Formats: sequence, C-alpha cells, structure tokens
Amino acid sequence: MAAVISSLRKQISTCEATLEDLRHQLAEAERIQRQQQKSVPQKRPLATDPASPLDHDMNFGVPDDFRSEIFAVLKQEAKAVEGTESEEPSRWPLEKNEYKRYGRQLIMPEVGLQGQLRLKKARILVVGVGGLGCPAAAYLVGAGVGTLGLVDDDVVEESNLHRQILHSTARVGMTKVQSAMVALNSLNPNVKLLPHISRLTPDTAISTFKDYDLVLDCTDTPTSRYLISDTCVLLRKTLVSASALRIDGQLMVLNNPPSPPGDTTGGPCYRCVFPKPPPPESVVSCGDGGILGPVVGVMGILQALEAIKVLTQTPAASSVDPPSLILFSAYSNPMFRSVRLRNRKAKCAACSAHATVTPEALESGSLDYVQFCGSVVSNNDALLPDERISAQNYAHIRSGVNPFTGTVSSKDSHILVDVREKVQFELCNIDGSVNVPFSTVSNMQGDENDWVTQLRKSEKPIFVVCRLGNDSQVVVKKMKQLGLDAGGKRYIGDIRGGLRAWRQSVDVEFPEY
Amino acid sequence: MAPAKAPAGHFSILYFAAASTFTGKTGEHLPAPVRARGLFALLEERYPGIKDKVLSSCALTVNLEYVDVGEDDAEDADRQIGEGDEVAIIPPVSSG
Repeated sequence: MAAVISSLRKQISTCEATLEDLRHQLAEAERIQRQQQKSVPQKRPLATDPASPLDHDMNFGVPDDFRSEIFAVLKQEAKAVEGTESEEPSRWPLEKNEYKRYGRQLIMPEVGLQGQLRLKKARILVVGVGGLGCPAAAYLVGAGVGTLGLVDDDVVEESNLHRQILHSTARVGMTKVQSAMVALNSLNPNVKLLPHISRLTPDTAISTFKDYDLVLDCTDTPTSRYLISDTCVLLRKTLVSASALRIDGQLMVLNNPPSPPGDTTGGPCYRCVFPKPPPPESVVSCGDGGILGPVVGVMGILQALEAIKVLTQTPAASSVDPPSLILFSAYSNPMFRSVRLRNRKAKCAACSAHATVTPEALESGSLDYVQFCGSVVSNNDALLPDERISAQNYAHIRSGVNPFTGTVSSKDSHILVDVREKVQFELCNIDGSVNVPFSTVSNMQGDENDWVTQLRKSEKPIFVVCRLGNDSQVVVKKMKQLGLDAGGKRYIGDIRGGLRAWRQSVDVEFPEY
Repeated sequence: MAPAKAPAGHFSILYFAAASTFTGKTGEHLPAPVRARGLFALLEERYPGIKDKVLSSCALTVNLEYVDVGEDDAEDADRQIGEGDEVAIIPPVSSG
C-alpha cells in the first residue's frame, strides 16, 4: 500500500508540474497574440505581387508570429535602401536568403541553380509522419522543396520520441502532423506545409495525391503500402518507398519513370516486387518487434536523398537508374546490399496491360485492401472463461485467499510462467515467475523440451502471463495439448490482459514499455 | 552471417528480416545445384512452416538479381542455382 500511495503522490506532483508548465505556455501564447493584434495595423498589405513566390509564401505559407518577425526585418532593410528603385523585377532567380541557405548544395553540380529551382517548384507528399517520415521531411524541407504535404492521423506518444525526431516531449498528445509542422516551420519557413490530418483510405487516396509531384511511403502496414503504390501508378507519380523493423530496412524507388499502366518502359510498382502480401499473423509492428532509432532514421534519410535525386534530374535525362531494392542490415557485414529489380511484371495487377486496379475500382471500394492483406483473427476468446483469471484475482492467489477454493495460498502455491521473450522478461517481471519465451514454445519440434520436462516435475497449478494476454492463451492451449494438465486434474490458465492488466489493476509501479 | 565464400559444391543463402527471425540465422551454405523453383520446398524441409509463414510473400534474388519463381510459368522457374551463387530470401518489411 505504501508503494501505491507514494506512486499516487508522484503522479499528482508530475501532473501539477505539467499543469504549471501549460499555464506558462498559455500565458506566453496570449502575450504573443496581444502583441500581434497590436501590430496588425502596421502590417504591409498582402499579395503585392501574386507572381512572386516569396509574396505568396509570405501571405499563405508562414505562421503569423514568424511573418511579423520577417516584416520587422524587412522594414529595417527597406529603410536602409530608401530612395532606390524597388519595383524592378528581381535580377536573380532565387531570393537573396536562398543563395545563402542552400549555398552548400547549390555549388554542387548534382544540384546547381536549375536543380534548386526544380526543388522549389516541387510538391511532395509524405504519407506517415513517424520514424521514416520525420527524418525524410526534415531533409526535404531543409533542401528547400516548394510544398510538402503531411498525412497522418496519429498523435505523438512518448514511445515515439527515440526515433521520430520532429516531435518533442512537450508535444506528446499533439497530432503528429501538427507537431511536425512546428518543427519544420522553424527549420525552414520558406517551405509551404500542407496538413492532411486523416488516415489514407481508398476513397481519399486519389484526391489527396493528385496535386503532388512525388510521394514518399513512410507508413507501417501492408495495406497502406499497396494502396499508396496503386494510387501512384494510377496518377503516374513516382514513389519512394521505405520500411524498417528491428535492425533491417528496405528502400525502393518505384514507378520511375511513371509511365501509364501497360507501358513497359515504366518502372516497377510495389506489386511487381511483392505481389503477395505477408501473412497477417507474421506482420510485426515496431511496437511489438522493436526498432532501433538510427535504423529507421537511415531509411528515412535515404528516402529524402532518392526524392532529391528524382526531383533534380534534368527532364532530358533519358537514363533513369535501373530499378533496385536496397537492403540495410545494421548488424551484418556489409550493411548495405543493392538488389537489381526487374522491369514491370507482365501480369502485374496494377501497372501491366492486364491491370485490374483502376480509379473506379479504387474509389468505389471494390478493391478491399484489408481483405487482400488479411487481418489477424482476434484470439481474445481462445480460452474458456474458467481457463482465465483476472489480474486482480491472481493477485489474491499470490497474497492469501484463492477466490475459487477459499484456501490460503502464496506465490509458491503455483507456477507463474511468463512467455515474453527473454529480453522483455529481463526488463521487468513478477517476482517468482519463470521465463519460457513464446518463440521457444511455438518453434519447438516434437513433444519434449527442457521447459516441458521441468513443468512435468511438479503438480502445482500453472498460470501463464504475457505482455497483453494473447500469447499466454496460445501457450495454455499448447500446454494442454502436451498433457501438462494431467487430463484436467491440474489447473492451467492465463492472466487475462497480461502484464498490462497487472499494472492497471494491481501494481501501478510495474514498468510500462 | 555465413562466411562470404561457400565451400565447394555449395551455394550461400542469406536470410533477411522475418526469414532471419524464423530460421534463427542470417545465412548458411546449402548443397548446389538446386532448381530455383525447388528451393522453397528444400527450405520447408529444413524449417517446417517457413513456406506459408514467410516464403509465400518473399522476393528471391540470385547474385543480387531479382528472380521470379512465383508461378509455374514464371520467367525463372527453370533457373538453376549453382555452386558459389549467393541467394537471398527477402520478406517484405512493412513497418516504419
């Protein structure tokens, strides 16, 4: 109980600190607003020259506080050059500050003035503002692309911050798109940012993509990967696709050149390379499988690089790089491998002459991506109710009275088997539990294994626990198949909701990761 | 990681992402020659379950070149994997 009280005290003081911080932020924001309202009458008229990209960006692409800052600077400059002719058309194709800001890439033959102007004209869409999207967007905005769209419906969580470098501790809870816009704006206010705070769906994909020149797939599910690729094929946009999990990454520039479907000179699409989606139960998210920050960072940065290469190439250049798949393996030697891909597949469902993916099919919803990729059948009810116990009741079993039999017991009255992988078990575990990793159970060949033998030696009831309460059910079933329940004489069951439920209803101090 | 060079009469095979997780290896050497189309059956024998759980959606490369063995009439169904070749099993990674 003392632990609970101290934890509650801690939580309250943390909340109070957060509240205090928010009050400061509010006061500051209100102060800035008052200042801006005061300065409004002195603002220069809008849109002096609609053809000037700077005027356009100043009026529509820059937040108010930043605009007022710039106007303050401009006012001083205007004073300094008073008397000289200012209505003259600009002598230089880029603004003065742009020569300085982009100078390091401007002096490279790969970019040069023409390349920079192409970047400035370019409209790029980043789908997914997470581990890939953050670094990709940062480098594209840094390089001075004209317009950058951001698609995501997610909000920033604390567990994102080790890799999603545009977000910050203070912005946990904000939408990822808004959080990224704050960071990108302060990085380079010249870039026009367009928010799309929604999840990409088949009926919105075409309207979202159509005004952009190039798309970056920075998403995290097979369904979105096929949807984005199909939409890019239909709208003839080049796609830079990357992905990462644990210590591995993949990168492809697809539909490059973006010839119409059926034209064999076009680059392959995602379906050409991976015509069949992975089985749903094998799809692992970064939340479950883990991800090393720099691994996904490398992949996102490579996406920005490939995008810059595509955007800055001269239109006359007939030699588009042959399609390739780059494999990154952080712990292998060599770390990078480049695999040569084929051209478009003769029977591809999206980009061949036999394509079944059409704009109509996409928008009518007859292309069911969820069905195509399959979904994991929820095994929430794999076990019968009497094979499961709530975390609270399990706590009673450990501390005294068995709610089923009324007998007094303790943590030694039974065996608690934790089936998380060893690394996770070592992070934190319930006192007295034994670790039998799920991978050991699911990959075992034959019927006898060390852990089985160990469990056979005792007749004590077995409780199985995992992180969320899914794997534990699978293991309970397996144990019964192996006859560990002695034909029903020995109790085997799992803790419903796993360690998450344990933390929520029994031990608030138990770490959440 | 399997040593770069395969011993005589063998080819190297590299397992990426989910294939590496499933086999518990990043690579190994297997006896050559093997018909490309027969490779998945050979791996299924060594790692029961791998065909449905991993290989069905994988890309296959031989000497860093994409090889299409997906269907019976696929372009490279009859291709042979010979001594010293480097084969890679590349499952799609979709996270990010």
